Amino acid sequence: MLMPPFILHVPGSVEEACQIAGDLISEGKEFDWIAGGTDLIPNYKWHINPKSDVISLASIEGIDTISMNEVGCMARLHDIAESDEVHSLIAEAASKVASSLIRRNATLGGNLCLDTRCFWYNQAEEWRSSIDWCHKADCGTGSDCRVIPNQNTLCVATYQGDIAPNLMVLGGIAHIIGPHGAREIPMSEFYQLDGITRNVLEKGEFLLKITFSDDIKNWIGKYRKLRLRESWDFPEAGVAAAWVQGDKSTMRLATTALESIPRLHDEEVASCEGDIAKLANTIFANVKPVNNTSLPPRYRRNMIKVLVKRVCED
Amino acid sequence: MAGGYKQQPGSRSSETRKDGKRVAGKQSFAPPGSGGSRPKMAERDLDFIPEMVGGKEHQPAGAHIHDRARTGTTVGKRIPLVDANAKVTGQAWYGDDVRLQNEIIGRIVRSPHHYAKVVSVDTSKAENLPGVLAVATGDDAPNKFGVLPVTKDEHAMAVEKVRHVGDLVACVAAIDEATAREAAALIEVEYEVLDSIHDMKKGLEDVDEPIHWRGKYHVGTTNVQKRVFQEFGDRSMVENPSAMYHGKWKFQGVNHGFTEPHAVVAHWDSNGRLQLYTPQQVPHYAHRALATVLEVPMHQINVIRTFVGGGFGGKSDPFPHEMCAAILARKAGRPVRINFDREEVFWVNRGRHPSHIEVQLYADEDARISGFDIDALIDGGGFASFGHVTSYYNGVLATAPYELGSFHYTGARVWTNKPASGAMRGHGAVNTRCAVEVGLDDMAEQLQVDPIDLRLANLLPPHSRTISGFRITSNGMRQALQKVREGSDWDNKFRKLPLGKGIGIGCGFFISGSGLPIHWDPNKFPHATVHMQIDMDGGVTVHTGAADIGQGSTTAVAQVVAEVLALPIEMIHVRSHESDTSPVDLGSYSSRVTFMNANAAIRAALEIKEKLLNAAWDVLGYHPDTLVLNDRRIYYKHDPAIGMSYLEALHKAQEDKGALISSGAYRSPPMGGVHKGAAAGLAPAYSFSAYVAEVDVDVETGLIKCTDVWAAHDCGKALNPLAVEGQIIGSCHMGLGQVLTEQMVYGRSGHLQNPNLLDYKIPSVHEMPNVTPIIIESCDPEGPFGAKEAGEGPLLPILPAVVNAVYDAIGIRVNDLPLTPDKIWAAITKKMKIERIEDATNLPVPRLDFSELQEKLAKRAAEHNIRDKKRQTTEDTSAYVNGVLFGFDPNIPLEEQVEGWAHADKPSAEQLAELGLAGKAWLKEEQRNMGGEN
Repeated sequence: MLMPPFILHVPGSVEEACQIAGDLISEGKEFDWIAGGTDLIPNYKWHINPKSDVISLASIEGIDTISMNEVGCMARLHDIAESDEVHSLIAEAASKVASSLIRRNATLGGNLCLDTRCFWYNQAEEWRSSIDWCHKADCGTGSDCRVIPNQNTLCVATYQGDIAPNLMVLGGIAHIIGPHGAREIPMSEFYQLDGITRNVLEKGEFLLKITFSDDIKNWIGKYRKLRLRESWDFPEAGVAAAWVQGDKSTMRLATTALESIPRLHDEEVASCEGDIAKLANTIFANVKPVNNTSLPPRYRRNMIKVLVKRVCED
Repeated sequence: MAGGYKQQPGSRSSETRKDGKRVAGKQSFAPPGSGGSRPKMAERDLDFIPEMVGGKEHQPAGAHIHDRARTGTTVGKRIPLVDANAKVTGQAWYGDDVRLQNEIIGRIVRSPHHYAKVVSVDTSKAENLPGVLAVATGDDAPNKFGVLPVTKDEHAMAVEKVRHVGDLVACVAAIDEATAREAAALIEVEYEVLDSIHDMKKGLEDVDEPIHWRGKYHVGTTNVQKRVFQEFGDRSMVENPSAMYHGKWKFQGVNHGFTEPHAVVAHWDSNGRLQLYTPQQVPHYAHRALATVLEVPMHQINVIRTFVGGGFGGKSDPFPHEMCAAILARKAGRPVRINFDREEVFWVNRGRHPSHIEVQLYADEDARISGFDIDALIDGGGFASFGHVTSYYNGVLATAPYELGSFHYTGARVWTNKPASGAMRGHGAVNTRCAVEVGLDDMAEQLQVDPIDLRLANLLPPHSRTISGFRITSNGMRQALQKVREGSDWDNKFRKLPLGKGIGIGCGFFISGSGLPIHWDPNKFPHATVHMQIDMDGGVTVHTGAADIGQGSTTAVAQVVAEVLALPIEMIHVRSHESDTSPVDLGSYSSRVTFMNANAAIRAALEIKEKLLNAAWDVLGYHPDTLVLNDRRIYYKHDPAIGMSYLEALHKAQEDKGALISSGAYRSPPMGGVHKGAAAGLAPAYSFSAYVAEVDVDVETGLIKCTDVWAAHDCGKALNPLAVEGQIIGSCHMGLGQVLTEQMVYGRSGHLQNPNLLDYKIPSVHEMPNVTPIIIESCDPEGPFGAKEAGEGPLLPILPAVVNAVYDAIGIRVNDLPLTPDKIWAAITKKMKIERIEDATNLPVPRLDFSELQEKLAKRAAEHNIRDKKRQTTEDTSAYVNGVLFGFDPNIPLEEQVEGWAHADKPSAEQLAELGLAGKAWLKEEQRNMGGEN
């Protein structure tokens, strides 16, 4: 396992990071951001879309805040999981990510910007060459998607982050920064199809922090994750729900690990008017997992009904 | 003996501190080997000396031939493995820790195709890349090899064809890994892609281009690598059964999942000898194969076994990458290292065979097991590996621990275009055992009896013979079942737990060493040899070829030597890493090492002991029979004041010849039948185990959590209970992986979809149940101090115990391992549809109302309990063969008593019409000399 060589940039401030990104863009260079590295480095070791330059956020001070109203992109998942300051739902979700060892390094920003996953894609270079590559990492060959062949336009790799749906239901706001300035966008709109596009980040931008309104402390919620093992595994399906304590009518619900992006299901929740069984069936009907993770899509989809019931019930 | 006796000649009381420690610089002769800061002899530890020879160690199974060699020093004590410090402090040198001067890095070029002819290999670009020092292809090593002499079908690199994605085509060596990788990418290979086979059922069909030709005869033009037919007993007994189980099982392939990926360093030294460093379980086979492939005599090769970071069968074949490293090093004139990535570990595989196994079990009106019919089609992947043996094991290792009316087995192993399957912990026995034990559970339900009582009333006793002719010596199966029943509170739980909670039983039976050494005539050369040497310092150096793969063989050898000579274990130094200094040994497979090497070590130690006692006789004037060895001292048993230290005796014994040396060997006694395949499964002893597992099943998601396991294993005698418990718990973990989560997934395109440890789901610590290991000591008459294997057998019962517990929890049997939640959910959903149940939490759970048979069985089990005790303690030494339960006389050949009691190794014409899946391999005619060497 040898990573291809790359130039590592280590800015000391957000401004410097944006400057470096801007410079690299103007030089026509490709680059990746790196935070904890637990997602990027394994991909690099497998030679999956490696870039010539990598910008690390690890040396920037002050972007690892953990509080009720704000969580910085460099906040380590272990620290979030152990924190009494942050909302308990976020702590719960963070505690369910991967393993204790990975949580020590992994960050909130990295988890939210997790690369989408697919068993035709997350493989060593030799392996991928034996299937003549795939659409998401085609190595210049224009390869087709291996999950749904003969379409060649869409990547259906699955987003398997645990924390995103929880931030959606808690009304988190993503703060984005880049060479052209800062902007804010609700977490529910942060993700964008397809599996290659993944999210709204433009070239040179990175996710700086997530903020929440003061109202957040009145909300409670649950997150349920389907996985084969209680450690290491990415979610095969995940459902988060939150509501103002004592008022289930305020419920918001989001799903993850079923499609290329996590989704907030406000419309379905509204249409079901508190009927949990109906809600479970509606969401079941609206999500369309594909066969690219460990468990079969039919099963994952059916489990949505169980998970919705379990997050909604007392 | 207050105060004890001093161990060192010349030490005086004035030079001894009050706290008993030596005074530095005051002794005329610093005494290495005298026990360090313990100058006084410890008292004899009577708790660990058998009662038959005057100690307090209880011997319910009777006396043992090695009792007189016991000194209470180490045997039976919980001691850490002797290499534990090296491992926990990071000083153990695994394959990747070897660093030689001027070492360069090798990299293998692998096939991207499932099956193809190699038309040409152009290495010129790679050779011209700066930093590349050697390139090799199949042309550099045309000689074939394989772990079994009868099925050599591998090359170092592809000679004509590649047989699976990841098969070796060429290799390069360069100054660093980056250059080696770059060079590998520059090698241009032209392939002619052939039609590949992925479904093992297709392997039974005739094709134009079989993956291999089988040598002297080929089965049609199919991909059948081995076919087996075995039939014993009276087939008419299965007619009109009282209960019958029919199950079609599917087992996915599993990989050993050891921590350390393969790594090798090859170095041709200044004298032109090959020094090969490799984490091998079976260095001797690698040694032989290297000699064949490299065309170098064996004495010009030194195989150095590094520490092995887990093997489980996956490091027991001679491997092509070992050849590649040696070829590259010879070409480059520099040491070459090859380290595997995890994908490469999966591509070389040798894991458990993916299998289709169909079993039919029959019970008669007395709930005797009138027949086992087993048909096993196993997927060998691209090479033969150990498959010849696996093909037998899938059947014949099911012929015990139960007494059978008849046994019918058809097996076939086919080549497919996948990474090769091979030997893995519980070799060949695991899958069939699971199917059979679940079948027994099902028959117990039909008969309305307790499945533990069904088993207890059908066990073969100690000192008996199986239907296939295996000689059973010690047998702790009954105690194992009794102990887990008691420990798990079985009688209050079975079929009484609420929905979603279940308890299940499973048993196991495994070989303790394979009876025949594969490479030589057992009469011409022993199975195992151990050399010993003691020089002036008193330290004992033991040379053995036993390969410690983490199972503790080095500790076992050290322990038995320490025991016999009554020396602290720190004084025993086991040297087992190099073939230059180790006596030839078959290696660590078939659970043979403790049984065979410890036996050889005891013999070598007894020879030394005799020399020491004779020297003491010279000095003390007392006959050796009246002398006692205890903690570095030899004394007269009636007056411990008369004695001498071990060093004094040693120096006396060394007067004429210098260092004491000895050699001990082990060979198994003649045994077994003469029929074709009689040697497969033959062992000098067998281990027995019984597990009870308790599970929680989430009826809505299908997720299974195994919460508790009571694991009883008969290892004969626990030389080191700590190590035995470790093996039991580790086996539980590995077996749980196979039954619940682990599988090698081959996707729609035939590619191995999960060759990494994220997607290949080995259970984490969270999935581990609370395991209660229970050691059963049946005291094997031929085992070292009574010991038998504990490394593989304990894996077997966990699979069926969990499957049976799942049935107890939700009333559903799934015959398709692993029991991933999607399969359980699908089965629950199907059942809900059939039974028109809306909510999974309303599923019915099985309950048990005993039939009249139950009492009958309990009575028979109680009688057998008495019978077995008498046989175990040799109070009853009458003959017992499989068939006595059915009323036959053990002293007259059964063929003479029953018409139809027979053995067959080929199907009859009528049988050909009704063979199972694997049996269909017998429909093909043999074709002579189609190609191939064997």
